[in-house]
Amino acid sequence: MDQKPPRIWISNTKPKKGETLRVRAQIEHIMESGLRTDAAGQVRPRHIVTRFEARLGQALLFAWEPGISIAQDPYIEFAFLARDSGELQLRWQDDTGQSVSASRTIAVA
Amino acid sequence: MKRRTLITAGAALALPAAALAQQSTVLPPSVLAPNPQEFRRIMAEFTRGAVTQAHGLELDVPVLADNPSGVPIKVKVEEPMTAQDWCEEIIVLADLNPAPLACRMHFTPAAGIAEASVRARLSQSQTIHALARMKSGRILTAKQAVTVAASGCGM
Repeated sequence: MDQKPPRIWISNTKPKKGETLRVRAQIEHIMESGLRTDAAGQVRPRHIVTRFEARLGQALLFAWEPGISIAQDPYIEFAFLARDSGELQLRWQDDTGQSVSASRTIAVA
Repeated sequence: MKRRTLITAGAALALPAAALAQQSTVLPPSVLAPNPQEFRRIMAEFTRGAVTQAHGLELDVPVLADNPSGVPIKVKVEEPMTAQDWCEEIIVLADLNPAPLACRMHFTPAAGIAEASVRARLSQSQTIHALARMKSGRILTAKQAVTVAASGCGM
């Protein structure tokens, strides 16, 4: 569903233990609401991202279920406390079942 | 459709199917209108009759949104997450959007903080509501009126 890799910003990838980490992530997605018509008057079918998950290793940190009121190229920001080192895995899934994922290494000092 | 019935018989044979197909894909105007029943249903389903408290949840929305197709909305539970009580889920609602439920967010004790920001598109000036459900069953609520410069739902 996505040509370009997700844009990801993490406040600090080498945090101290207990530090608040902030993650901002955005992908390109049309987020077609199903409420628009094309030039011929036909409805453009709904095509939106329906789920986003952030995991550190196996542990789920945050999940997000966008609806049709979420803006195009969905942007999500969330925060968590740096407790363990590991691979921060971000995964988006849309209503056609396509998904895109990215990961970043978090090394707690 | 009346105009179609006047068209010559030969063409009329082929038309009904085409007319039906087209009709089924045309949006009734009501789908773009606010949906107060759906808004109330989602609110009731989330609170499940629990008493709500109007503090403890921070909702940050601009009072004047210059870009209605990307209005920043931030939610944050001010109470710390403890092993006994933490925020399980937050929902964000735009009460006059055709689809009032903007998004759901799920939090886990592993994160240690319940805080997130998204960008929503708004069909008109309205009130943004945020509801947070704690593990103990308490519901925290917050709302903020936002004025938008133009409609974001046609974009």
